[in-house]
Amino acid sequence: MGLKNRVEEENCSMSEVLLFATMSIIGLQVDAHLKDGSVYSGIFHTASVEKEYGIVLKKAKLTKKGRCATNVVSGSVVDTLVILAGDLVQVVAKGVPLPFDGFAGNIAIGNGEVASEILPSSANPLNGTKKLNASTVDERKRNTKRNSARNENEFADSFIPTNTGKEDEGQKLLENPMANGKEVEHQKRDETHVEQREDTSGATIARRQVGEDRSQLSQDELGQKFEFHVERSEKEVQQSVSSCESSATDTLKPVDGEHDNPCCERPSAIDIHQDAVCSGVSTSNPVVNVTPESCQRSFANPTAIIPPQSSELNKNSKEFKLNPGAKIFSPSFVTAISAAPPLVPTVANVSYIPGNSPMVAVAGSQPEVGMGTFAPRSSTPSKFVSYGNISAATGVSGSQFSQPIVGHMGNRTQPLRYASQYHPVQAAPAYLNPSSQAVMFGHLGQLICVPVSHDLVPSAAAISPEPARPPLSPHQVQFPKHQGSAPGQALQLCVPQPFIAGGQPPLAVPSHIPYLHAPYPVNRPVQIPGSNGLFSTKLP
Amino acid sequence: MGGEEFAVGCLLSIKTTLGDEFEGQIISYDRLSNILVLQEGLESGPRRNIRLLKADYIKDFSLLRQDEDPLDVKKCFLDLTTLQAREDSAIRQAESDSERFGVGVTSEAQTLFDALSRTLPVRWDKTVIVVMNEVRVSSPYLPESVSGGTPAANERVRKVLEFERKRIQTRGTSQ
Repeated sequence: MGLKNRVEEENCSMSEVLLFATMSIIGLQVDAHLKDGSVYSGIFHTASVEKEYGIVLKKAKLTKKGRCATNVVSGSVVDTLVILAGDLVQVVAKGVPLPFDGFAGNIAIGNGEVASEILPSSANPLNGTKKLNASTVDERKRNTKRNSARNENEFADSFIPTNTGKEDEGQKLLENPMANGKEVEHQKRDETHVEQREDTSGATIARRQVGEDRSQLSQDELGQKFEFHVERSEKEVQQSVSSCESSATDTLKPVDGEHDNPCCERPSAIDIHQDAVCSGVSTSNPVVNVTPESCQRSFANPTAIIPPQSSELNKNSKEFKLNPGAKIFSPSFVTAISAAPPLVPTVANVSYIPGNSPMVAVAGSQPEVGMGTFAPRSSTPSKFVSYGNISAATGVSGSQFSQPIVGHMGNRTQPLRYASQYHPVQAAPAYLNPSSQAVMFGHLGQLICVPVSHDLVPSAAAISPEPARPPLSPHQVQFPKHQGSAPGQALQLCVPQPFIAGGQPPLAVPSHIPYLHAPYPVNRPVQIPGSNGLFSTKLP
Repeated sequence: MGGEEFAVGCLLSIKTTLGDEFEGQIISYDRLSNILVLQEGLESGPRRNIRLLKADYIKDFSLLRQDEDPLDVKKCFLDLTTLQAREDSAIRQAESDSERFGVGVTSEAQTLFDALSRTLPVRWDKTVIVVMNEVRVSSPYLPESVSGGTPAANERVRKVLEFERKRIQTRGTSQ
């Protein structure tokens, strides 16, 4: 039967079921058994599924000590724990909701219709992000309601720079190269978190592929996607980390020195490392990599990790050009994000929309689109910390946003500031200020409703045609006609928003960045990233 | 274990090289990573215990019976939003728990901490109970161990500590 054939289906990427199972246990408390006998209990965060299976746990505790010495104190909590594939024996998760025979689907889908919409449109469950994008574009146009399937924008929005200012912590950790365990800069680990967050926007359908062609494709794509996600994050991290790269590198240097690693496979460490590390963005919490003393492995040179992404991203970019103008729907794990080079300049993609300022739509996939409407020209890249927003702003192909976002991440040092006169550019996904009333940054699953001050109203008319613009149409949240909206609530722009941790800044969000938390005062001038002269006050 | 095809749906009794023994039904086997996805435990309900086991570490196994694929492919959905939310809430919970539970402290100390936390804002600082962010109670958590803070706060903490200790004692003796 087809089911039995599952085992033989894929030969070059991870099986769907394993991926599905992996994703199903995200967020659950799991026990990870290591080959030295130690057991770590933590919240399953992500896994690296390329070639080998390594995992990342959050808030992990050593519940059972193993043979090898480790730098993790029994009982102490490790914020992010990377367990390399070579060490992992098994992962045990209890109470996993899976669609077993006779029972409903996995995790409750917010909108039944979403699932149904996605299903027909995506040929491949996990890989169907591209297709999903294409097929849901129309729906998007018509459908303003919150839709978890609208991943693109969310995706973009969800990119959250993990660049925290706490590299010093990481540094502190790494200062002791002779520590038993390897401590990886938390930045990297957080990237996995970031990637995951990005990925988790929207809903994806994972189906077992029975058909060979489909399964094959999906397997490949799955593998790629997952990899992409990681890769993309890496790339993003790379760029975002540019500012803190030195510190990251510095902190990692001492670790590189360790080489006595009799029982650990170097490659596996690197794989995980690359996958998880690429995040590069520093995280505030130290990351402890479980590495038994006797099995110390040297971490891949952090710098070495970074380069591969671009090739990966570029390689996959072409695969996601279903619709150049469309935003690619990419579920969090299988980010069909291809770094689209042209998008790099689309800083405009990121649109940060403060609660009360006129909403400036996020630029569409095309750079010019994004640039067009932003009145404020900020030459300095604004700190688009929202990361999630930035990427989300792009809303456009997930692949696309990731890149531009990355580029800007690293440079963002100032909060994005909106000029109150700015006209909303487009209906493109807009990143909403977490403090915005309508949108709860992080609360909204998919759509961001941004209350727009009346300032926008005059320009609303200019905006309204925008949604009709082809570049914008794809999946962009419909830009509601806001002419005539009441002042103070002129615009209810519902933008798909990547899922951001509800009620709390995403882990990746550096805590020192006030951006997320501080509500934006009305009329505070906002600099749109990348709006270096490309924005025009008048909508074309 | 190389070369063996794990048929989905098989119920195996597995012994690992680490000494674990369990039974599980195969949901999937990934050849690339050599990971076996098993479900185990109760058969009832949509929630199962899932085990991702690296087949390398299977020392011994035996086939108990062969069943159909337990996973319904058509119903496999992933709601990424929910996943994210679940993880975030779990992390928040873990963070709040970590502040509540001391590491490397005796259970008596933890009990005292819990008791104090009923009426006072307390947090752990390694093995020291910090009350109202100013008064510190270190091991052995006697009234004499209370230090810091304003005299009034210090006194209050002492009193509460004494009271709680007595309560724990009487509770302990009465049980």
